[in-house]
Amino acid sequence: MPVWKNLSVIRKVVQLLAFLFLVYGSVFVGFYSADKISGAFPALACAYDAKTADYCVLIPLQHQLGHGVGRAIGAGTFALSMLLPVLTTLATFLLLFVLLNKAFCGWLCPLGFFQEVLGMIGQKLRLNRTESLDEKVVDRIRPAKWLMLGLLVILFPLASGIGFVGHELGDPFCKICPSRILTSLAAGQLNQLYIDTSSTGYMILSIIADTLFGLILVLSLTMRQPFCRICPMLAMHAIFKKIGLVRLVKNYTPRCDKCGLCAKACPMDIREIHTSKEKDILMPDCTLCGRCVEFCPDKGVMAMKYAVIPIKVSDPQYFKERNRAQKQWEGKQKPSRRVKKD
Amino acid sequence: MKARLLMGATLVVALFSFTAEASMHWVPAPAVKGHGHAGHGGGHGGGNSRHAGETYLLHGGEGAETQLMSPHLAVKALQPEQGRVSVKAMGTGNYHALVAKRSAGELHESAIRYIYMNGKPSGVSPSLLIGHEKSALEIEPAPLAREHWRYYSGTDAVFVIRYRGEPLAGASMSMTTGNGSSAEFTADATGRVTVPLPQDFTYEKPGRAANPPAEFLLTARHGDDGQRFITTFSYDYHINPQHWQSTELGLAMVGGGMLLGGFMTLRKRRRKEKK
Ligand code: SF4
Ligand code: SF4
Ligand code: SF4
Repeated sequence: MPVWKNLSVIRKVVQLLAFLFLVYGSVFVGFYSADKISGAFPALACAYDAKTADYCVLIPLQHQLGHGVGRAIGAGTFALSMLLPVLTTLATFLLLFVLLNKAFCGWLCPLGFFQEVLGMIGQKLRLNRTESLDEKVVDRIRPAKWLMLGLLVILFPLASGIGFVGHELGDPFCKICPSRILTSLAAGQLNQLYIDTSSTGYMILSIIADTLFGLILVLSLTMRQPFCRICPMLAMHAIFKKIGLVRLVKNYTPRCDKCGLCAKACPMDIREIHTSKEKDILMPDCTLCGRCVEFCPDKGVMAMKYAVIPIKVSDPQYFKERNRAQKQWEGKQKPSRRVKKD
Repeated sequence: MKARLLMGATLVVALFSFTAEASMHWVPAPAVKGHGHAGHGGGHGGGNSRHAGETYLLHGGEGAETQLMSPHLAVKALQPEQGRVSVKAMGTGNYHALVAKRSAGELHESAIRYIYMNGKPSGVSPSLLIGHEKSALEIEPAPLAREHWRYYSGTDAVFVIRYRGEPLAGASMSMTTGNGSSAEFTADATGRVTVPLPQDFTYEKPGRAANPPAEFLLTARHGDDGQRFITTFSYDYHINPQHWQSTELGLAMVGGGMLLGGFMTLRKRRRKEKK
């Protein structure tokens, strides 16, 4: 299959360009373009990276909730106008989000790309990979992203602004965010990798951050996108997913019951795309990577659309070629120990 | 409370100890009550001007014209009272410039300071304001420490000296800090000056809040055709957090996380094999 026809390859190229832009963007477009572009990017593009061109929505959100809304409530001077910055941040976020929906994850997020690259390295190293997680494990992990959003992005910053909890919990998600460490390291800064000994709170948060980063480094080699499964951005996106223009649709046929290749291809283990009889199958965990469409062998059953325009529609010929390309890429898998024993 | 008073007192001393013979420049006014001074805010912009109504002092600026410039380059004249100006958010957020200018005979002076304002996102990049020619001779931060970076002791800060909008090769610039350091610099062929911010803080206690910032003041001078130009750039800088942040421990912790990841992977595989 020619590479330019392979959606996954196209996506990798886009991801690489986005990575270069989001991590080193100031080199190309000058400093401060963050404020020019949006200041509220719907993926983990980091404000702590000294060369960044843009930054993710989570940082202004935590700050505005903490310093603005929280402090105002704490001081008893809360006025509706206090919400204005928060609403503007959300509006900028929504603007970009309407255009691309959750494709920010699958196509633009630096951390998502990094995890995928590690996964590819794992494949090449012939590490024993877990392609799909157990259903029960997936169900258990899913609520975590809502907790991350609710507690770390919203509640703790508010509580810190009011004065219920310490200053360290003013932007707790940033304090543990692996993208902060990743993008700053990629930009040649070591200053985001530290243990902060100034207080117990800071110490705990920095220990969590560094451990989480190490954990992702290793888990990504054998498991698909470990951090994405608990990322608050997914939850944030999920709230607004109905208004995005990019859609994932399915025309259910009884053959779907037997096949299930789409769910197997899905890096986020969304088995619902296989079992669902609905038309709209854009699930909260979806990153709009399009793999399910690529690996659906039935003509026109699955499609990724921009509003009503189809971008990619499942097709038996494409499936065949894509499958062959995948096998070629993966090479012969090392037989697992169990197979050897048999 | 006592500690806070003491901190305030040292801060005021730190802020003003260099002002005796310095050229016209801006400094945040010490707060009358409550916590700290204008440079004491939380997150953004080197901690400047989180709330409405911050007060700044223009030192040695008798008779100067003062104004506040928004990120969109909108200009608001300021009326100083005994050298103090109170700046209120102009509605939009992001970086604003405090500009003071004065000319007498062949001497042209200017003082510029960038302050972060809270408000609705301005939608324009601060580079517009920073790159805009606000006075004939100007010290342009390249870039300004912003958002989550600040000027830290023991790190390098870069500036470009411009005269009539163009980089001024070989220009001379001096620095003094509220902690008593001073240094002289010469710009390179592109007008750039790299300023190593001095490690001149006495380390008190771990944590940023326990170590109030100090001010540094850059002054550039230039003569052209019998005219003399002096400009200043002032900002706050902080003690390097390396005092309480350990990279070595951080790396060790990442290693720990990797081990944990390896352990989890192995356990998962064993379980799968048992099935
Ligand atoms: S630390 Fe994470 S959440 Fe915070 S700005 Fe960076 S990427 Fe966004
Ligand atoms: S879910 Fe993954 S891809 Fe999406 S923002 Fe989070 S880390 Fe990035
Ligand atoms: S549902 Fe499809 S598009 Fe969404 S993450 Fe899974 S494979 Fe990718």
